[in-house]
Amino acid sequence: MANRLPAVVVDTGTGYTKMGYAGNTEPQFILPSAIAIKEAASVGDQAIRRLGKGVEDLDFYIGDEALNAPSYSVKWPIRHGIIEDWDLMERFYEQVIFKYLRAEPEDHYFLLTEPPLNTPENREYTAEIMFESFNVPGLYIAVQAVLALAASWTSRQVGERTLTGTVIDSGDGVTHVIPVAEGYVIGSCIKHIPIAGRDITYFIQQLLREREVGIPPEQSLETAKAIKERFSYVCPDVAKEFAKYDADPTKWFKKYEGVNSINKQLFSVDVGYERFLGPEIFFHPEFSNPDFTMPISEVVDEVIQYCPIDVRRGLYKNIVLSGGSTMFRDFGRKIQRDVKRVVDARLKASEELSQGRIKPKPIDVAVITHHMQRYAVWFGGSMLASTPEFYQVCHTKADYDEHGPSICRHNPVFGTMA
Amino acid sequence: MAATLKPYLNCVKETLTAAMCVQNFDSQVVERHNKPEVEVKSSKELLLTPVVISRNEKEKVLIESSVNSIRISIAVKQADEIEKILCHKFMRFMMQRAENFVVLRRKPVEGYDISFLVTNVHAEQMFKHKLVDFIIHFMEEIDKEINEMKLAVNSRARISAEEFLKNF
Amino acid sequence: MILLEYKNLIVQETLKDKIRNVVEGGKPDNVDITVADFDGVLFHMSNPDGNKSKIMVSVSLKFYKDLQEHGADDLIKREYGDFLVPAEPGYNVSVVFDLEKVPGDWEKRVEKAALLKRNCFASVFEKYFGYQEQGTEGNKRAVVHYRDDETMYVEAKKDRVTVIFSTTFKDMDDVIIGKVFMQEFKEGRRKYQQAPQVLFSHKEPPQELANTDARMGDNIGYITFVLFPRHTSASARDNTINLIHTLRDYLHYHIKCSKAYIHQRMRAKTSDFLKVLNRARPEVKDKEKKTITGKTFSRQN
Repeated sequence: MANRLPAVVVDTGTGYTKMGYAGNTEPQFILPSAIAIKEAASVGDQAIRRLGKGVEDLDFYIGDEALNAPSYSVKWPIRHGIIEDWDLMERFYEQVIFKYLRAEPEDHYFLLTEPPLNTPENREYTAEIMFESFNVPGLYIAVQAVLALAASWTSRQVGERTLTGTVIDSGDGVTHVIPVAEGYVIGSCIKHIPIAGRDITYFIQQLLREREVGIPPEQSLETAKAIKERFSYVCPDVAKEFAKYDADPTKWFKKYEGVNSINKQLFSVDVGYERFLGPEIFFHPEFSNPDFTMPISEVVDEVIQYCPIDVRRGLYKNIVLSGGSTMFRDFGRKIQRDVKRVVDARLKASEELSQGRIKPKPIDVAVITHHMQRYAVWFGGSMLASTPEFYQVCHTKADYDEHGPSICRHNPVFGTMA
Repeated sequence: MAATLKPYLNCVKETLTAAMCVQNFDSQVVERHNKPEVEVKSSKELLLTPVVISRNEKEKVLIESSVNSIRISIAVKQADEIEKILCHKFMRFMMQRAENFVVLRRKPVEGYDISFLVTNVHAEQMFKHKLVDFIIHFMEEIDKEINEMKLAVNSRARISAEEFLKNF
Repeated sequence: MILLEYKNLIVQETLKDKIRNVVEGGKPDNVDITVADFDGVLFHMSNPDGNKSKIMVSVSLKFYKDLQEHGADDLIKREYGDFLVPAEPGYNVSVVFDLEKVPGDWEKRVEKAALLKRNCFASVFEKYFGYQEQGTEGNKRAVVHYRDDETMYVEAKKDRVTVIFSTTFKDMDDVIIGKVFMQEFKEGRRKYQQAPQVLFSHKEPPQELANTDARMGDNIGYITFVLFPRHTSASARDNTINLIHTLRDYLHYHIKCSKAYIHQRMRAKTSDFLKVLNRARPEVKDKEKKTITGKTFSRQN
C-alpha cells in the first residue's frame, strides 16, 4: 500500500482527549473526556438500565457538547488516567471516530495511549473494543510518558534520539515524575506531586482576592486562569524578584482587562507578584499546600536516586517536560539549576568523604524544553505513528483473530533507531 | 417448546448434584501433583462414564466426571446465523474473562459452546448447591439473552434503516 | 447521532478558527494539516508557497478520475467558482481563502469547502439524474471505484435511476449483521412510501450487473437503490445526493454501533453471571468489624 491513509492518534487523558491524524503537529480536536447520556430513572442495575430497547445508546454527546447538553447526565469515563467505564468509553470512541475524525476505522491504523502502570487487562479490553467493534486493521497502545520522551526529539539533532529519561508530566489535576529506561517505565519509582495547574490557579485567585476588589466573584476563577496563562513565569530567586518589582513597578506590573459577563462592563486588574508567585508553588509547595513541602526539583532527584544505578546518568541528562502546566517561561531552567545543585552537592560530599582519593565524574543535568510541550504526548504519538516502523510493530487484525486480545498486553518499544 | 425446558433443566440439576461428588486426589503419575483427572485422563479407573443430557439435537449438556473434578459442557441453542454469531461472541467474551469466573474453562470442549471445570478445591470452597444453581441459572439466562440480543439487533437495524429512508 | 454529517468537521472548524482569528485582527498563522475522511478521501490545508495570508484546501479522491468522466470538473467550477485554483500536485481539487480580503460571506464559503467531498460525488448523480429527466436512454453505466474493493454503479432509465453499491465486509460476523440491516432496508420502504425502492443481494451481483467485472464472494453485498423521478427532481436532488453518498458509511457505522451495543449487553450480563457465581462463595464469617471510632468490634458470646 503505497499511499496509506494516515494513522489515527487518540490520547485519552483524565481531563481532555486529544485526537487527530498522524503526521500533523497539533491534534485536530481537544475535547473534554466527558460523555453526556440520557439515564432512565427506573430502578435496577445501572448497566442493565442503560440498555434501551432501540437505538437509545446512540443518543449521547461527547466533549464540549456534552457539557452543554441540558437534561443529560454528564459522565467522565476516565479516572486518574485509567478507563473505568468501558461501556461509555466504547461509545465515546464511536463519536470520536465517526463524528469528529470522520475516519472509516477499517482503513486507518490506530495509536492509543495509556498511563504508566495501566493493567494488561485494560489493554485487552481496549483491543477487544477496537478490533471487534471497530474492525481496525492495526492497533498500538503506547505509554504516555514514552511518547512525551519521543516528542522531545524535535528539540535536538537526529542521532541523539533516546528513550531514556525522566518525564515531568503536569496537567490540570496532578503532576507525575516518571523515569523511563530504554522505552520502559520504571514503575516502582514513579512519584506523584499533588500540585498542578489547578492549584496554581487557586493560588493566584487567592492572591487576587486579597488585593483586587474589581473582579466579579463568579468570574474570579477564570480571571485567575487567564492571568496564569498570559503573564506567569518562573523566576530564579523570589527575594530578588520582589526587589526588582518594587524598584520599578511600572515596568513589571501588568494590567489585565476583563469584561463582566453580567453587566458587560470592563474591569481591570493589576497583575503583580502573582506573575512569578503562581508557578513558584512547584518549588515552594508550602505556599499552597501545608501537607506537602518537597520542591519539584527534589522530587525529581529522589525519583532518579531510587532508580537502578546504571540508568541514573541517562535520567539526569534527559529530563523532559510535558503537559500544559510546564509551559511557564524558564520553568525548565530553574529545575535544571536546582537539580544540578543537589547533584553537585552530593558528588562533592562523596569526594570529601573519600578525602580526595575518588574524583567522581561530574553528572550532566539537562532539562529539555520544546515548543510541543503542551500536547507532547499527542505529538509524540503523531510523530511515531507516521514512521514506517509503526506499521511493523502494530498488532494487526489478523494477529488478533489468530491469537486473541492477549497480544495487546505487550507493545514493543520502537523508534529508538537514529 | 417451553414445556420441555423445565424437565430438561431439572434433569441437568439432578445429574449435576449427583456428580458434584469429588474429593482430593493426588496424581498417580507425578508425585506431589494434583491434576484434574477429567482433563488429564491419566487412568481409566478414575473416570466415570460421561453423561449427555439433550433436549434436542442442538441443546445438550455433557457432564464428564472423575474422582476429583467434573467437566460440564453446554451446547447452546442456535437457530440461525445471527444467533450463532451472537452466541459465539458472547461465549468468547466470557471466556476472555475466565479469570473472574474461576470455574469457567478457557476453551470449550469440542462440539460444545462453553465448558466449566469444577475441581474438588472449588467444591470445597464454595457451596455445591449454589454452584449447581449457577450452572442452571446460566443455562436459563443464556437462551434468553441471546434471544434478546437478536431482537435488539433487529430493531436497531429497522430503526436505522427507517431513519435513513425517512429522509428521502 | 443517528445520521452521519455530510461535511468534514475538521476542515470546517480549522478554517473557521483561522479566519475568525484574522477577521478579529489576529495575525495569520502557519497551517499545514492533513486529515482523512470516509472513503479514503484526504484533505490538505496549507499555506500555498509558504504565504501565510492564504489558506489552501485541497482534496484528493482516489476515484476522482472516474468522477471526472461524469463532469466533476464542471460541477466544482460551478460550486466554487472564483476561489478555485489549479489543483495542488497530488490532489484533485484545491480552493483558496485569501486572508487579506476575507469576503463577508466567509462562513458560508467555509461550509462549502467542508462539503468538497460531497460535491465531488454529486457530479455523477447530477449527470444521471439529468439523463433521466431528459428521458435519454442507453447511456453507458457509470462506474465509480469509490474504495479499493468497493464500487458504485449508476444507470439512468426513462423512469428511474438505479444506483448499485457493492460493499465488502472485513469480518465474517459483519456479513451476518450486515444482512440483517440490509433486510430491514428492503422492508423499510413499506412504511415510508416516499422512500426509494431498495433491493439487496448477497454474494452475487444483481442481474443488472451480470456479465460485468462485478466481484463475487461471501463477504460482498450489493445494495440497489431505485430512484424515481420524485427523488431526482431538481428540488429533491440535493437531499437525495446527500443521503445516498453516505449510505455505505452509514451502514458500516451502524453495524459497528450494534457491535458496541452487543458488547454493552454482554458486559452487563457477564457481571450478572458473576454475581450469581459469587453467591456460591460462603461469606467470610470472622471478618474484623470496626466501630465508628476505629476500635475492633467483637460480639460477646
